[in-house]
Amino acid sequence: MMKIHERSRTIWLGVALTLSLTGFSVDAHHSGNMFDRERTVELTGTVKEFQWTNPHIWIQVLVPTAGGGVEEWSIEGGVPNRLFRAGWRPTSFEPGDEIMIVANPMLDGAKAGAFVGAKLPDGTTLGRFAE
Amino acid sequence: MWNKANLMELFRTVHKAILGAGLAAVFLFSQAGNAQQLSSFEGLPDWTGVWQMIGPTVFDRSTVQPLDGRAGRHGVREFPPYNEVWEQRYLANIERVSADRFPDPLSFCGTFPGFPRTFNLPGALEFVVRPEQVWILTEDGPSITRIYTDGRSHPPEDEIWPTFSGESVGRWEGDTLVFQTIGIKGAGETILDRTGLTLSQQARITTRLRRVDAGTMEAQMAIEDPEALTEIWMVTKQYGRLPEGSRMFDVACAENNRNPVDATGRTLTLDAEGNVLDVGVNTGVQ
Repeated sequence: MMKIHERSRTIWLGVALTLSLTGFSVDAHHSGNMFDRERTVELTGTVKEFQWTNPHIWIQVLVPTAGGGVEEWSIEGGVPNRLFRAGWRPTSFEPGDEIMIVANPMLDGAKAGAFVGAKLPDGTTLGRFAE
Repeated sequence: MWNKANLMELFRTVHKAILGAGLAAVFLFSQAGNAQQLSSFEGLPDWTGVWQMIGPTVFDRSTVQPLDGRAGRHGVREFPPYNEVWEQRYLANIERVSADRFPDPLSFCGTFPGFPRTFNLPGALEFVVRPEQVWILTEDGPSITRIYTDGRSHPPEDEIWPTFSGESVGRWEGDTLVFQTIGIKGAGETILDRTGLTLSQQARITTRLRRVDAGTMEAQMAIEDPEALTEIWMVTKQYGRLPEGSRMFDVACAENNRNPVDATGRTLTLDAEGNVLDVGVNTGVQ
């Protein structure tokens, strides 16, 4: 079942404090100006692909739409070296995983975002994820 | 009334004054012939381990405004002693940062950060000490800064050209490595941080690098730049030692760069197939 939530900035006030260790950060190799740091979206979907690559990791997520279709989101995370040190592994996401993922969406509405947090199939979380 | 802001300003002023006076004294002392030239590992400090910069990638955290400002965010700046021409250049860069038209050279995935940005990177570093050289290895780039400590001087002027790592020679003063770097790339090809800070190719950086305690390395830089600065710019950076057994990793930027820069300097976002996701943008990717 698809659900996309938008949450207020207040709920996620602490997110930015931890991004440098857990997700995409302004210390990344490129500008982050394309992302809306004032908003987050929560996606529920299936992992299509996990790209554990430089200069950023990417999580491709297939999200069911209200009309019965599926849209693919590209969620950009941090750099493997620092994510590894924060506890991530190349197997943190596997194709087929049913996950909930929170991201700062792109300002222009494109189906992409900067990783904030995720809840994995076994109930564990990465980054900042609040129920 | 003293508030937090002006107390911080006072602290910074005093800190810089002490640091500046100390460095000036040390440089003069060094000129008197106190430096050591070592030919074996005996007497060299232990800088083994993997290190990571403490704090965000703001080059001069002692002057950044706002105090919690992050490089790359709207309106964030530092206050180097730029002359008027370079101050205006910096202000223009700051505007370009806000407009997403100031791409980090690293976004092109073709060159490495360059010196002295070597000391302002988010990834890990290693400081490899040998009798004849010291190497600073960084994950970002990756890059190697070689500092010759075998007693040589800088090459003649006609044998130096601007390079990303620059030309460094140094000497040991006890457990402190004092080295001078010239011949850097400068503005146009390198930055110091993503607020838009740059130096000219005329910059001359004297660095005092030492391990201040078991878990902390410190680099004190005295930056001279007759083209850009009106006085010596003092900047101190610190690095924390990562847990025992930590490893260095590749940061091979070109591996899967899904954020290329278009002809206007705007950073784009690609989908997994390489198509531009940004709405209304389809051409001009460099």
